[in-house]
Parts: sequence; structure tokens; C-alpha cells
Amino acid sequence: MRIDNASQAAAAGSLLHVPPRRTAARRLWRFLRGRHWTFRTGIVILVALVVTLILAPWIVPHDPAVQNLIARLSPPSAEHWLGTDHLGRDLLSRLLVGGRFTVTIAMITVILSFAIGTLIGVVAGRVVGGLFDEITMRVVDVLISIPDVVVAIFLVAIFGPGYLTLIASLTVIGWTPFARLARGLTLAINSQGYIQAAEVLGCSRSFIVLRHVIPNIIRPIAAVSFLRFGHKLITVGALSFLGLGVQPPAADWALMLADAQPYVERLPILMIAPGLAIFVAALSVTWIGHGLEIESRDGGSGDE
Amino acid sequence: MLARLLQRLLILGLMLLGVSLIAFLVPFVSGGDPVRTILMSRVRDLAVDPAAVEAMRVHLGLDRPLPVQYGTWLWQALQGDLGYSFTSGRPVASEIGRALGVSVTLALTALGIAAAVAIPLGTLAATRPGGTVDSATTLMIQTFVATPEYWLAPMGILVFALYLGWLPSAGWTSWSSLVLPAMVLSLRPMAYFTQVTRATMMDVLQAPYITAARSRGLSMRQTVMRHGLRNGSLPVVTFFALWLAGLLGGSVVIEVIFAIPGMGRLLYEAVVNRDVPMLQGGFVSIVALSILINTIADILYVALNPAVRSGHAH
Repeated sequence: MRIDNASQAAAAGSLLHVPPRRTAARRLWRFLRGRHWTFRTGIVILVALVVTLILAPWIVPHDPAVQNLIARLSPPSAEHWLGTDHLGRDLLSRLLVGGRFTVTIAMITVILSFAIGTLIGVVAGRVVGGLFDEITMRVVDVLISIPDVVVAIFLVAIFGPGYLTLIASLTVIGWTPFARLARGLTLAINSQGYIQAAEVLGCSRSFIVLRHVIPNIIRPIAAVSFLRFGHKLITVGALSFLGLGVQPPAADWALMLADAQPYVERLPILMIAPGLAIFVAALSVTWIGHGLEIESRDGGSGDE
Repeated sequence: MLARLLQRLLILGLMLLGVSLIAFLVPFVSGGDPVRTILMSRVRDLAVDPAAVEAMRVHLGLDRPLPVQYGTWLWQALQGDLGYSFTSGRPVASEIGRALGVSVTLALTALGIAAAVAIPLGTLAATRPGGTVDSATTLMIQTFVATPEYWLAPMGILVFALYLGWLPSAGWTSWSSLVLPAMVLSLRPMAYFTQVTRATMMDVLQAPYITAARSRGLSMRQTVMRHGLRNGSLPVVTFFALWLAGLLGGSVVIEVIFAIPGMGRLLYEAVVNRDVPMLQGGFVSIVALSILINTIADILYVALNPAVRSGHAH
């Protein structure tokens, strides 16, 4: 019902020719105001991070791939703000572009897991007790217990590292928590009046799922997506750290961490900086996810 | 309930069969002739006589149709014969057995630390929701979840092994080599255990029997000790088992960093050395164990929880 109001309000807004920019800014402000500080900080960090990663190739002070063996392992200076690594490459530049692979892979994995898991979970919840429900949920019961790192390592061993292998191997297990959650949430609203009304009115199954079920369960699932996103960032990083993810010439945070290991005593910043980058990225999405979780649990009290 | 259990076991069996089939097919899909793969790792020279390759093929039974080969492989695997490692030449099954012992020790220590901190902390946070302890706990959970262990571990080595010299930096020799990896490994489960304990305790503390105990004059502390903890620790048991399953193979990075000869490192080295029998055996046993432990945990949860057993919770 709330969704109808929102869309009507949006339609009315466009009729009255309200300047869209101000409205968007105000709506953003109203959205952020009253939220927990961790949620707001998380959003700010994530937006800054995504913008930085997109713009990285144009704003890096040095070419992240250019080696300078004379100036290797140099401490922070005016020329190299964070110093240089064991091959004399500028640390700051590598840091700026180093999140692109990990964040992209983690993001695609989460979006795919979200889409597949939610769809399967909702359908299972609508036909609860049926053959589809029984089979998919028992499959979920079993798959959910397999460590995704193990599956990823196994598939990388066979097919070699690459975007496709990593995304596929993490999605194979990744969809299961979404399916379980979506099914549970669907079961909870199956008995609601508006669903029964839609059924009585003869709405088609897909219409009920798309128009009523999914919009009403999307918030808790979105919260979980952000929490899983943080988890996936760390998992993808772990694979790169082991040399099974992003491959060497490219700059990657976890790979930089692995490379820095022998030089950590001499220049600790080589390890502190990329680790901090992964940590901050994972923390920001965890904060956002947690904020959304509280909101969906409290019934969206801070809503417009 | 029994029907559901049987279904679960049926799917479990089918799933394991599928996993074993995938593992069996590794040498056939990873490119090239499996006989040559085996020869390369043993002889380290590809200039062998084609006739000798064919003789080897017959000797290994690789000239037979695939389903027959799979049947033989599966039958041997079920009897504990997973073949021989390409690199060490020792039986895969005994290598896995040894690695498993190491991983279980590491996982149990880490989970023990996690539970020892999480249960009191989660309970404390639940007794005063929104209070200082609760807020600090939430922040701690988020921090621990977001910390990459492959960052924390080298930093820990840097501080405790290189600067302070209190603990060994790597290896698996004495109890002191267990401390650092177990601590690093315990943070993530600690965060989740705390979260689960807190959520469960918040529910439990709303229950009528808690109000009854409080109104009988028991202090909050006594109430929590006598009634709360017993009812609130059940989900933690399930989570403990889930994490045990996850850490058996999922602690790869920690085992590699600290040079611990556990399951994760076994799998990692199998990949690096292209040790096909080890990869197959390691993958199948980790997956089979994870699934089994998880299934047992689910059955235990149902058996211990009367509400779920009679179907009220769903």
C-alpha cells in the first residue's frame, strides 16, 4: 500500500513540475536523517569508494603498473604519498585501482545470488509443501553447509582463475541463504489479507509474486545482501591472496597484501594500507546491511 | 518429521553422488589426456613412447568406458582408497586423515575461544538492549565480521612473533603455535555467536517464565543463570556445528599463512602442485564432512527442541 502512495506522490510531483534535483537531495536527507551514525557513515564510505574506483584510472598520481627498481620500498614522501612497493610501484595509485576486481566480482556474485535465491525462495514459499518446495529446500539444506572457498578453490583448479570461474563458484553456494530467507518471509505473508484478496480476485500467480510478495519482502533481503556483500569481498580477497583470484600484473588489495608479506618488517604500511582498504570497504557495507536490518525488523519506523 | 528426515537423507545421498561424480571427472575436464597427466607428474617427461602410454592406460583401467571407471573409482573411494598423491606418493586417505586431525584441533580451539567470549557477552548485551555494552558489542561484531583474516594474521605475526617474540610465526610444533591462528580464526565465529546469543537471549528474556522468576524475587543475574542460559544456548549449539563444518576446509588462508598442515592447506597445495588424486580426495571429503556435520546438527536441533519437534515453530 505504501508503494502505491509513493508512486502516486512521484506522479503528482512530476505533474507539479517540482525541480527534481532538490527533491532528490531532500529525500536523501530525509532518508539519512534519524538513521544510526554507522548507517550514514557506511553510505558515505560506500559512495566515495565506488566513485573512487570508477574514476581511479583518471585520478591516480602515477601509473600503478610502472616499476622503478631504484626507488623500491621507499617510505612515504611528497612524490609517493604512501611510498612504493617491492618493485618501486606507487602504493597510493595501486590502492586506488586495487579494489576494482574484488568489488566487481563480489557485487555481481551478490546480485546474482540475490536474484536466483529470492526467485526460488518466493516460488517455493508460494507452493509450500509441493514437490518444487521440498526438493529445492532440501537442496538448500545440503548446499548451505559447504564452504564457498572450498568450491571456489576446486573450480579454479579445474577451469583456471577468471571472472567467470570466481563468480560462478561463489554463486553456486551463495544463493542458498537468500532462498531460505525469501521462503520464510513469503510464508509469513501468505496468510495476509491482501494476498488472499488478490487470490480471490483471480490475480495470476506471477502477478501476485511480482506485485505483492516481492515488494513486501525485499527490505530484509536487501539487508542480507549488503551483509553478504561484505562477506564476499573478504572471500574474493582470500582467493586473490592465495593466488587463485585476480592474477599478478593487475593491482588488487589482497594481492598487494600477499606481496607485502616479506617486506612487512621493513615497511609495515605496505601491508597496513591494502588491509585497511578491504576492512573499510567490508565495514561500510556491513554497517549499511545492519542499518537496513534494524529498519526492516522495526517495521521501517524512520520511513517517510 | 520422519518423512522429512528420509527426504533429507535421500537428497544428501544424491548430492554426495553428484559431488563424487564432479570430483571423478576432474582429470577428464582439466584439459589433456588423464594418462599423460599422471605420467607427467610421475615421470616428469612427456617424451614417452606412445606404446608405453597405451600400456599405462590399460594398466590404470582408463581404456574402459567412463561409467565403469566411475563405478570402480567410487567403490574404491567408499572403501577408503582414494589413490596416491602425485607429489608425495603416499595414500591420499592417510594424508587426509592426518590433515583432518590438525584442522579439527584448530577449529575446535578457535570455536572454543569464540563461544567462551560470545555467550557471556551476548547475554550481557541482551539484558540491557540499547545500553553501552550492547552498542559496544554491536560495533565489535561488525568490526570482526569485516576484518579480513589474511590481514589480521600477518599483522599478528608482525606484532607477536617479530616485534615481541612471544609466539612462533608459523608451523605446527607445540601448543604455542596454535595460539595465534586460533585467535585470528575465532573472531568471525565469535561475532556470529555473539549475535545469535544476543538475539536468542532477547527472545528468551521476554518469556513468561522469566517474568515469573523475576516476580518470585530472583535477581536478574540469577534468572539469567538459571533459566535464560539453558534455553538461550540451543541455537549456539547448531551454530557451533555449522562453523565446525565451515572451518574444516574454510580456514585455507590461515593454514597457508601459518604453515599449518591441515585440510585447507592440503587442498591448496593439491591445486598448486596439480595433484589430481589429492584434489579429488580433499574436495570430496571436505564436502562430505560439511554436509554430514550439518545434517547431524539439524537433527540434534530438532531432537533437543520440543517446539520444533512437534512442528509448532514452523
